[in-house]
Amino acid sequence: MLHVFTVLLAMLFALPLVAEAQKPIKVGMPMPLSGPPALFGEPASKGAQMFVEEINAKGGVLGRKLELLVRDSKADANEAVRVARELILKENVDFLVGTLTSAEGPAVSVVAKENKIVFIAPIPKTDQLTAADKLHPYVFRVAATTTMEGRSAAEIVAKWPVTQVATISFDYAYGQDVTKAFVEHLKKIKPSVQIVDQQWPKLGEQDYNPFINAQMAKKPEAIFSSIWGGFFVTYSKQAKALGVFDAIKYNFIGVGEAATPETTKSMGADYPVGIWGNSYDAFYWGETPAHRDYTTRLSKYLKDEYPSSWAIQGYIGMQFLTEAIKKAGSTDSDKVSKALLGLTVETPIGPLTIREKDHQANRGQLYGKTVKDAKYPFAIMKPVTYVDPSKFMD
Amino acid sequence: MPDASFVFAQSLSGLTAAMFLFLIASGLSLIFGVLRVLNFAHGTFYMLGAYLAYQAMLWLGPGPGRFWLAALGAALGIALLGGVVERVLFRHLYGKEELYQLLFTYALGLILSDAAKIFWGTQQKSVSRPPELASSFSLFGATIPQYNLFIILLGPSIALAFWFVLQRTRAGRFIRAAALDRETLGALGVNVGALYTGVFMLASFLGGLGGALISPMRATTPGMDTEVIVEAFVVVVIGGLGSLWGTFLGAVVYGQVLSFGILFFPRFSIFAVFALMAAVLIIRPWGLLGRPIR
Amino acid sequence: MSVHGLAGILVFVAALLVPALGSRFYTFLANDVIIWALFATSLNLLVGYTGLVSFGHAAYFGVGAYVTGILMKKLAVPFFLAWPAAGVFGAACALVFGFFCVRLTRIYFAMLTLAFAQIVWAICFKWNELTGGEQGMPEIPYPDFGWLERLGASVPLLGGWRTAEYFYFLCAVLVGASLWALHRIVTSPFGRMLTTIRENAERAEFIGINVRRYELAAFVLAGAFAGLAGGLFGIFNRGVFPDFAYWTKSSEVLIMTLLGGMGTFYGPSVGALVLILLNQQIVSYTEYWPLVLGTVLVVLLFGFPGGIAGAVGALSGRLFRRVRSA
Repeated sequence: MLHVFTVLLAMLFALPLVAEAQKPIKVGMPMPLSGPPALFGEPASKGAQMFVEEINAKGGVLGRKLELLVRDSKADANEAVRVARELILKENVDFLVGTLTSAEGPAVSVVAKENKIVFIAPIPKTDQLTAADKLHPYVFRVAATTTMEGRSAAEIVAKWPVTQVATISFDYAYGQDVTKAFVEHLKKIKPSVQIVDQQWPKLGEQDYNPFINAQMAKKPEAIFSSIWGGFFVTYSKQAKALGVFDAIKYNFIGVGEAATPETTKSMGADYPVGIWGNSYDAFYWGETPAHRDYTTRLSKYLKDEYPSSWAIQGYIGMQFLTEAIKKAGSTDSDKVSKALLGLTVETPIGPLTIREKDHQANRGQLYGKTVKDAKYPFAIMKPVTYVDPSKFMD
Repeated sequence: MPDASFVFAQSLSGLTAAMFLFLIASGLSLIFGVLRVLNFAHGTFYMLGAYLAYQAMLWLGPGPGRFWLAALGAALGIALLGGVVERVLFRHLYGKEELYQLLFTYALGLILSDAAKIFWGTQQKSVSRPPELASSFSLFGATIPQYNLFIILLGPSIALAFWFVLQRTRAGRFIRAAALDRETLGALGVNVGALYTGVFMLASFLGGLGGALISPMRATTPGMDTEVIVEAFVVVVIGGLGSLWGTFLGAVVYGQVLSFGILFFPRFSIFAVFALMAAVLIIRPWGLLGRPIR
Repeated sequence: MSVHGLAGILVFVAALLVPALGSRFYTFLANDVIIWALFATSLNLLVGYTGLVSFGHAAYFGVGAYVTGILMKKLAVPFFLAWPAAGVFGAACALVFGFFCVRLTRIYFAMLTLAFAQIVWAICFKWNELTGGEQGMPEIPYPDFGWLERLGASVPLLGGWRTAEYFYFLCAVLVGASLWALHRIVTSPFGRMLTTIRENAERAEFIGINVRRYELAAFVLAGAFAGLAGGLFGIFNRGVFPDFAYWTKSSEVLIMTLLGGMGTFYGPSVGALVLILLNQQIVSYTEYWPLVLGTVLVVLLFGFPGGIAGAVGALSGRLFRRVRSA
């Protein structure tokens, strides 16, 4: 009788522990889901969701299921802060993985710091997110940085037979930082280059005609653009109609992922085929078995023959989080934060490591010149190369 | 010093933007002139016009003449929407305070813009330029897209047509009379109610047409309504509330200030536009071509 | 003490008790509500009491937020100086803008308030060096609560709270004081003069009142209190962003004022409470909050033109067989 009672008593004490173990690990994901930025934000959230479903099917992390709470941040820093605080205070999320723009990232980083919540940024690129004066134990980034992107682009442009270069970027942290990195590096490796014009439309601009005219008046031979997402669709349509690409003989590089399959697909015949661009992923890259496997799974999950290139960043963000939780053996913020330092993860695009110095992963991107390929109803990059960013990271 | 072909190109891009704004703002000005109400929902009509045009293009498929059909259909659809709104809801507010009418149009805007999100989702939509006007040509050293030129010519045409209707037709006389003194007009036996509905429908048609015609050039996306309504306010204020040619002039001025502002004081072009609006209100509140209303 | 005063004190005490409920989220919501209540009440000084409908009240809110933010973050000015500065700058802007605005009437007045607000927005949006530009200024420091924590070691109930909760207490006290001051203003002879002007400005002019001067004074006071609200909000929001001055912010506060009822002093505060709580509830079920809000507004317009407070007032008037004057 006594041991029955003891067992019952033990079960009584074990019950809350069991209940604790069943509680899901909540991850908050502020991400733009409406408007032009949604072209990138929506698939990024889908990539994270796919990873969560895959890992939950395998039993979760530390015996607990992952729960992803996605909220529309409208690509606005103010809204992202509000949404992040609600996720923390109301939904009691354990971690934050999200934000897209370089305005949202640093703003949410502040919230993460004050609430001691580990925040992994999968997309914002501005150097300011992990700069020395803004770095804190709880912010990490698995996206590329503006330094990496600007310098990679400069290396490509330096090989073109041009010296008069113009830039057009949004007038906020991302546009400013990536253009600065591009210009500085380009001038270093090709001193003969002259920056003849720089245009700074506001983020969210719909009418680029005045900027394009002002730029073309300076007769550039090449253009560097960091206009991104749905905004690039609008910009390039207007630029094409004004004869920009013909005038510069397609010596155009669009960082900010102007050559993603999403963009070329949504533009169809309007896309200025022949420009250079970059992308975080491309379903047609397929250089490793791991990537091909991921692409197949993604294609099935999204029910899309030509799956999005943005899903991978949400996917990688969640990968790093779960690997760190496993390594730390806990969901405690400080332990997970320590576990992330120096952590290497096998992502679909290859192994990535978050370095201790600035919590930054060596996330390079795919660069290439767009061409029309008979296999697909839209332009792709060919040849497409993964540019290793290590030599660009200070 | 920038050369002549560039100045020409820049002024043309300013004119293109201006003509779109004129289309939209003329509807706003008309509603204010006759119904004495500032219609906050006008921006949402513009946005719905763009979405309807996109939808019509999906149904009709690509091909010659399709875009024009879609644009016209969209504009008519918005006119119908305006008519229904006016008849069923708005006319019950005519006796009430102006503030309530304003609040109603604002609330209507909220409802309609979310309705657009429900039907068409939150991602931006893209429409191609109509194949008849898809290419560009060269003039004075500047590259001009054909579609842009079409818009630049359409603006004054609509202004002239409008002017003709207002000045030379019976309906136009009634509209002008209603703007001056609705009570007397009613006393003279004119069906003022039907006139109001007609004016609202015409204004909505113009707003919807503006949205439909702008869709090949810009993105059709949530948020385009709040952006355009403020621009429309600036235009009608500068030109003069209720004045047709004032709206036209205001639109032209707005377009050029923005265009050349980007060239000469890029950081302050947005500021310049609103500073101009404030200056007009301070110095000549009824606008460049308006008449002081009591 | 009047019923109003007693009710006010009860509400104040209730507000102070919110953190004791133990939910960080409730404290967050309450903090939001009280700051917006001040913002909306400041607008009502113009709309409800003086009859001037402003479309650009967010300008002073934004100015206040940026002033406090810049002073505390970039110049390390302590809160007890940085916050009143928000009110001073708000008042100064309102003086300059108001000088031109009060010379116009009705729609032109509204349009000029809108134009000035957009000018403020454009400056905050583009002056990268001063305001941080399009991405705003994240991370505004909290006021230093060290002294309060040390005091809390000896005084009961005062110790052991989180920084956010200390800030909430501070907000409750400051908002309470500001609302009290506003109440004194509207019940003073000056306030009654404003109501006279609202009823019939021409008649007021005839009996020798300098209408413009009174309107400008109301404008400046409204701007000052909006600035104070903004100063608090920048810290509460953990960052100051240009859309604090954008016209949609102006329309939000105007809706709150009208929703709650511009005919009473507490109407706008009620509007703030209802709107924020309603938003929270609706957003947990659907993403189509604007649709719900628009529908609520339309229903209110056709059914309850006096706003919530007006409806409550009319209802209780009927219940107690007394007609409450607005």
